Amino acid sequence: MGVTCVSQMPVAEGKSVQQTVELLTRKLEMLGAEKQGTFCVDCETYHTAASTLGSQGQAGKLMYVMHNSEYPLSCFALFENGPCLIADTNFDVLMVKLKGFFQSAKASKIETRGTRYQYCDFLVKVGTVTMGPSARGISVEVEYGPCVIASDCWSLLLEFLQSFLGSHTPGAPAVFGNRHDAVYGPADTMVQYMELFNKIRKQQQVPVAGIR
Amino acid sequence: MEAPPVTMMPVTGGTINMMEYLLQGSVLDHSLESLIHRLRGLCDNMEPETFLDHEMVFLLKGQQASPFVLRARRSMDKPGAPWHLRYLGQPEMGDKNRHALVRNCVDIATSENLTDFLMEMGFRMDHEFVAKGHLFRKGIMKIMVYKIFRILVPGNTESTEALSLSYLVELSVVAAAGQDMVSDDMRNFAEQLKPLVHLEKIDPKRLM
Repeated sequence: MGVTCVSQMPVAEGKSVQQTVELLTRKLEMLGAEKQGTFCVDCETYHTAASTLGSQGQAGKLMYVMHNSEYPLSCFALFENGPCLIADTNFDVLMVKLKGFFQSAKASKIETRGTRYQYCDFLVKVGTVTMGPSARGISVEVEYGPCVIASDCWSLLLEFLQSFLGSHTPGAPAVFGNRHDAVYGPADTMVQYMELFNKIRKQQQVPVAGIR
Repeated sequence: MEAPPVTMMPVTGGTINMMEYLLQGSVLDHSLESLIHRLRGLCDNMEPETFLDHEMVFLLKGQQASPFVLRARRSMDKPGAPWHLRYLGQPEMGDKNRHALVRNCVDIATSENLTDFLMEMGFRMDHEFVAKGHLFRKGIMKIMVYKIFRILVPGNTESTEALSLSYLVELSVVAAAGQDMVSDDMRNFAEQLKPLVHLEKIDPKRLM
């Protein structure tokens, strides 16, 4: 996968989540981007069950198990500031077996769904982030396919982001951080989504009645 | 093809539980060649396949009496192959007529940072070993003839010593739950390997 930047688009003043998404997608279509199907990224949170804490003597850690429709046969499991494991979909079956040790916080399942747009070498995905029935925000993912080294194409990505996000253009993602010359991979994208979901979870509920 | 029999274990999360059917036996070192020769004749025609794997067994201790066991296996001679994570359940106490040991199994291919990830989850390594041997296939049956090596210095797979003067022989099939005819096929195949090796159902609990 090429270098990717995942960011949040704030809801436009006086508009709903859905209307803001429509504004964005219209801008993309005017640029000349082609609609190419849909995408979905979801995330479930697990925490170490109380029974295992005693033996380890450490605070319970949160483990995120995520899926990305771009990689339908894979499952990503990660810890915040920890390793990200890429496994096949049987990992979900294993999590069912580990029910006694890792409890899923059912209420915290979060996902983003939306449309994929292809514009030359860029793949743009604009999604509505939902927790249960309510829409909580908007995610924007832009991937520059031909390049896998972050430092080589960040400025180009930034320019493209500015062309349709305007003042809401994000800064360089934290995952690029100290590893500018390392090869970018799907695990880095999932870390960005995890950070985005955590940020949205902490934000106040968007004051609209959700998507209908 | 007729519909498969009703599965005995419930379908959870949209996937069917897979079971491993297993028969085990062993041969002394000096009988290895004749066994390999017969297997080459009986099994599917393919290039002889050898393997050199390093397996680590991880435990997660909880309040339950028995810890959760996971096996992480990596290939030492095939660079770039994914790591293999395996969960094996307790052997099913079915009818005594069933010819093979049956247990629930979940196989997962993972990236290389598996051990770091398991440690982060709270697992601790219990023991490790190196397995070196041959692999054969006959339809869905997998036959492995391998030697187990003890690792003398933890983490160092270069210095190993053989555990015994024999090779472990395993005949296994991974199939959906409820397919008992699989164990009949396995028993028939095992008959053809007698008297070179006696493959039987060995209950791990009786060894402890």
